[in-house]
Amino acid sequence: MQTQTTAVAPSRPRAPQRGPVVLLREAASEISQRRQLIKYLVQADLKKKGADSLLGNIWWVVDPLLQMMVYVVLVSVILARPQPDYPLFIFSAILPWKWFTSSVGDAITAVSGQDKLIKQIKFPKIVLPTASTLAGIANFAFGFIPLMALLLLFYRDRISILLLLVIPIGIVQLVFTMAFGYLVSATNVFYRDVANVSRHALRMWFYLSPGLYAASSLDTIAKTHPTIMKLMELNPFFTLFESYRAVIYGGDTSGPFVPNFIPLLILLGASLLFLLVTTLVFKRAETSFAKVL
Amino acid sequence: MPPHVLTPVNYAIDVQGLGVQYNLRLTKKNTLRTTFQNILKREGGDKKFWALRDVSFRLVHGESLAVIGPNGAGKSTLLQVLAGIIYPSEGVIDVRGQISSLLQLGAGFDQELTGRDNIMLAGAFLGIDHRVMLDKQQSIIDFADIGDFIDAPIKTYSSGMRARLGFSIATAVDPDVLLLDEVLATGDQVFREKSKQRVLEIAANAKAVVLVTHDMHWVTEFCNRAMLLEKGRVVMEGAPAEVVEAHVEHSARSKAEREAELQAIAARAAAAVRVKAGAR
Repeated sequence: MQTQTTAVAPSRPRAPQRGPVVLLREAASEISQRRQLIKYLVQADLKKKGADSLLGNIWWVVDPLLQMMVYVVLVSVILARPQPDYPLFIFSAILPWKWFTSSVGDAITAVSGQDKLIKQIKFPKIVLPTASTLAGIANFAFGFIPLMALLLLFYRDRISILLLLVIPIGIVQLVFTMAFGYLVSATNVFYRDVANVSRHALRMWFYLSPGLYAASSLDTIAKTHPTIMKLMELNPFFTLFESYRAVIYGGDTSGPFVPNFIPLLILLGASLLFLLVTTLVFKRAETSFAKVL
Repeated sequence: MPPHVLTPVNYAIDVQGLGVQYNLRLTKKNTLRTTFQNILKREGGDKKFWALRDVSFRLVHGESLAVIGPNGAGKSTLLQVLAGIIYPSEGVIDVRGQISSLLQLGAGFDQELTGRDNIMLAGAFLGIDHRVMLDKQQSIIDFADIGDFIDAPIKTYSSGMRARLGFSIATAVDPDVLLLDEVLATGDQVFREKSKQRVLEIAANAKAVVLVTHDMHWVTEFCNRAMLLEKGRVVMEGAPAEVVEAHVEHSARSKAEREAELQAIAARAAAAVRVKAGAR
């Protein structure tokens, strides 16, 4: 019943594989051209998160406080590890960490959750993790309400103008988070267990970072196992937590101080490089999203 | 393929030797476990299949092409390729002008957002300037006939309302090429008439329409070309009436085949029962 002859065409043109420079340039122009779409997506994201529960955005304020209380009980009561002004000490790590984990969580589903849309409209998919990561900044910003309350009520002596340095530190974290978001959002399209793995991996990551404890408490490890210490210092959150803590909390007895900028600058450079790599990974994977989803 | 000779005709869609290949190993919600299993077993070799193969056609302005065929023939895949959503594995495809492709109308709406928000969001996804969308917003709402629900979240909409809004957005944006997938069956009688009028208007404005439908009446009455797809290949292409006739004949034949198969299965089952009874 075949009315068509099956004379095979001599050459079958295939879509040419595009080079990394072309893809990176394309990604950059897609993001700049679709600013409006990214803006809408960020707004929609914030609107939904606020409207979801009765208390709305109040949760973004209360949540870090509750988490702080859990850790305060755990560390200073159960483990009895003395650290002056521990609530503030831990808070300086909880804020950026909550920002990171919520952004990663949102990025994981940023592409795979929009499967229906991806199958019916052609649009640059990179806007999805970009928007979800940008929307995550609100999480961090809201965290400053309880932080300021904490500082004003209990730790007036630790208030300093250096607190403004969280902005450049936050920018470094944003670059790293964006890069990480591109990676997980693309990976989750192909392997749905990224979400499950990430929950445990992130928890482990937090415990391996100097969040609950000071980096100085690792001094004994540094002496006995210098290589392990070197590896721990490669963790971006080693540098980030230390920097945030310097400007929010300071030292055990002294107030906030200027963090060491050299590791921060190295981290910024490494994150930018990481961003280029994950953007490429995302752009390469993008062409098969509609088929796989 | 011989080098293409460009005729002076102002075509809207040009497709040459199009093929779309799916890798079954990659599709459908893989987990690490299944991936490892596949790597270890290497069963069945390459699990690839062609959803479309050797599809070639060209549509000039003013033409409306109906794509018909049985389920799984690759109709929707063809629309997705034309829309640029799926990339062809082989062949060349050239679609000129702005494409509107809300293929499954309303399926991509954000359930939590209002109808109004979704109009703006859909416009942004389609790449339309938000000022243009603001201008069109009211006419989209009017055409969809949603009423006060436009400021309620989409999750409160009926499926008919959702489809009407989707159709209204897809067709409000003055596309040069309109791709529609089985959408004319949605909504009530009045809206169906309205949407028919809209599609005809767009087609009349010297723009191309490609639609996938099971409504043969539509094909013969409103399309000036038709294409019959079966198992990813073009079986027939030409005047709507002839293609529809072939399709009806083919589906009658495959229906007869299926019935014969069904009878054979029933006969085998009956024989098995008889053997069992005899053994007892």
